[in-house]
Amino acid sequence: MRDLHANLKTRHALGPFEPRRANLGFVTVPAERLRGLLTELRDVHGFTHLVLLTAVDWMEDGLFQLTYLMNDRAGDRTLGVRVMLNRDEAVGEDMHDLWPTAATYQRELKEMFGIDFPGSPRVDEEFILEGWTDLPPYRRDFDSLAYSQQTYAERPGRVTHDPRAHMKSKLYPEG
Amino acid sequence: MSLREVLTPFTAWKHVLDAPVTIPDPIGREAAERYRGFHQNDMETCIGCGTCEAICQNGAIDMVPVEGQVTEKGDSGLRPMIDYGRCCWCALCVDVCMTGSLTMSNEYTWVDTDPDAFRFIPGLEEPWKDKEAGYRREGGRELSGTKRSHMGELAPALRGDNFSEICAGFTREEAILEADRCVECGLCVATCPAHMSIPDYIAAVRDQDYDRGLQLLYETNPFSEVCGRICTHKCETSCAALHEGDPIAIRWLKRHIIDNVPMERRLELVGGAKPANGHRVAIVGAGPGGLTAAYDLAREGCAVTVFEALAAPGGMMRYGIPEYRLPYDALDRDVAVIQAMGVEIRCNMRVGRDIALDDLKRDHDAVILAIGLQMGRGTRIPGSEGPGVEKAVDLLRRITAGEDVPVPERVVVIGGGNVAFDIARSMARLQKATHGTVGVTLTALEDRAHFLADAEELIEGAEEGVEIIDKRGPQEVMRDASGAVTGLRSWAVTSIFDDQGRFAPAYDQADERVHEGAMVIEAIGQMADVSLLGAELTEALDWNRGRIAIDAGFRTSEPWLFAVGDAVKGPDVINAVADGHRVAQSVMERVSLQEGIS
Ligand SMILES: Cc1cc2nc3c(=O)[nH]c(=O)nc-3n(C[C@H](O)[C@H](O)[C@H](O)COP(=O)(O)OP(=O)(O)OC[C@H]3O[C@@H](n4cnc5c(N)ncnc54)[C@H](O)[C@@H]3O)c2cc1C
Repeated sequence: MRDLHANLKTRHALGPFEPRRANLGFVTVPAERLRGLLTELRDVHGFTHLVLLTAVDWMEDGLFQLTYLMNDRAGDRTLGVRVMLNRDEAVGEDMHDLWPTAATYQRELKEMFGIDFPGSPRVDEEFILEGWTDLPPYRRDFDSLAYSQQTYAERPGRVTHDPRAHMKSKLYPEG
Repeated sequence: MSLREVLTPFTAWKHVLDAPVTIPDPIGREAAERYRGFHQNDMETCIGCGTCEAICQNGAIDMVPVEGQVTEKGDSGLRPMIDYGRCCWCALCVDVCMTGSLTMSNEYTWVDTDPDAFRFIPGLEEPWKDKEAGYRREGGRELSGTKRSHMGELAPALRGDNFSEICAGFTREEAILEADRCVECGLCVATCPAHMSIPDYIAAVRDQDYDRGLQLLYETNPFSEVCGRICTHKCETSCAALHEGDPIAIRWLKRHIIDNVPMERRLELVGGAKPANGHRVAIVGAGPGGLTAAYDLAREGCAVTVFEALAAPGGMMRYGIPEYRLPYDALDRDVAVIQAMGVEIRCNMRVGRDIALDDLKRDHDAVILAIGLQMGRGTRIPGSEGPGVEKAVDLLRRITAGEDVPVPERVVVIGGGNVAFDIARSMARLQKATHGTVGVTLTALEDRAHFLADAEELIEGAEEGVEIIDKRGPQEVMRDASGAVTGLRSWAVTSIFDDQGRFAPAYDQADERVHEGAMVIEAIGQMADVSLLGAELTEALDWNRGRIAIDAGFRTSEPWLFAVGDAVKGPDVINAVADGHRVAQSVMERVSLQEGIS
């Protein structure tokens, strides 16, 4: 894997190699170099399988991180390729022409994070959230608790107790 | 609601005539080993802190009382009840659990016709209660940190010959890190005798709102600057964080707030007293018990005069606790706020000598005794009478007062409590400054593991050169022909208590040692000097095992006389503060009643 990194590093402006296990590692690449790198990995180095495409919301840094997990079956090795996107205008590059399954991941990311992939088939169609009108729910500024409180009915008869107040009532009711 | 939202559910009707795709009896296949299935809770390990409820993003958890779970120190007695109508099995509750009691089995099928059955308290009756397979967080608690934030301290080499304060207090960065570890469960509040709003003031540190923090402190404790340094901090023994890591440094966070609010701002935030109400209250003793009562009563509008025998206010906070743990200016600031409420403190006024208790009774609506325990107890072993044998509290008082105390090159301390360490470490400092070397031997009945002093006293004492010898019973103060003290003869302790648990030390007389020293210091306890009462009042009052008897409101058997603090209860500053508030309330009740009558 280190050899592979050394080989690709300069040509694709790769960041440092981050090994996890002997056959698993990660690397970050500038967005404009992504397509070239993925294509070379697929066509030259045996990383024919896109295991998954997922995102992380680095809200405080104003970034979304995409991770393309690529697998070289014959070589039994997996490489995670990361690319950072501007969170305010979150647009990723459509890769469905490299792997048709990318379209499904991209549609999911559009729905759950609001990251757009112009040109990706059916990217604007609902994926699993039917009739969703709120912020994309995997964005960290989405308030899950407030949403569930507003959206779902409370089962009647529910009561909770604040530990501190409960202890006062039991142990020192006089104050 | 949009039209679409109304219509969407009806699209499902198009499947109404299709063959069902669900299997009536699921195949009974075991889920994966770490599957996040139905919850389990170890009822004995759970402390009812409610952190699971706080983190749940679906509002699925309620904390409820459960039969058989007792509300006690460090355990609210509440247990989580989960609504499976809302749970999404994300396992955040398991990941955040402070004790690791909450886990998930890999069980995932549950059929019931009663929808309310799916609101349940894990840990009671469910069939998967003891199932091993399922999800539990790997390793320790990670969502809230387990390590206490660093705080600067004077290294032993820099503190051995002086009384400079050892602890530097948290920097802002350190304090925020520490405050961030608190989950705000509030289990600590019940343990604090004054029930300070601990989670709220810790939140104020995190929010960097020191004004709010200070106001919260003053709601319950006018000695927060003192307590932020030397409180016995029992609250930290009930902290939810201690189950898998260091408890939150509650005491240091309190100190951090006070350290960050300048005095003028503090006075502004505390505000003034209510208009005068015409009542007059006398308080004997300017320790934390008397001064807390004085603060409350003055704020209520009473004219409060505190009579103090010694030259400066503070009681044992000034004349007992050494300066390296509590600098005088810190104490002075707490006292200054109390004085700013209009409290008059008359120092060098020993009641019973400089003024009679009867005079106080005559001129005031109520009198509070807050006289503490000023007299050291003696061992009464042979040789202990006469020069060269000192009581720890007397010596500490003289050191504070700036009097010359004899500093022999070798000193022996009898006692293993905090007071013994205070005097041992004070003498060590004086020796180091005078002779350049330390020669203090501290002997205690207990074995090391059972010393009454705090663990850090043993560590820091040893760092400063105090020789700590455990399991020694004092037998005789040795004197030479001229009567000068030469040391302490001791026997090895074989047991301290008898079969009935009574104090009855037993010794191995064959194991005898003489600890060399030109001074022997007794630090085995204190008692109250009640001579100010006079014969008649002593006779009239109710007593309880040698202490003035009081009721829950700190009233003595004489309606005009109240008593608080170490003299009647103790044992530390925060208890004196808490009880100071209570006695003030009782006094207010009495004076208001009198108002009704007149
Ligand atoms: C060496 C030492 C170290 C301690 N360390 C700690 C610690 O680290 N943390 C902690 O929480 N607690 C500590 N304590 C305990 C704590 O100091 C006491 O519990 C607390 O001060 C009790 O408050 P009080 O108001 O009852 O009495 P005191 O603080 O003892 O104050 C009583 C006051 O009454 C005055 N007085 C007595 N008789 C008369 C009279 N006839 N007329 C006028 N005035 C009178 C005394 O001079 C004194 O100032 C320590 C105690 C000692 C002795």
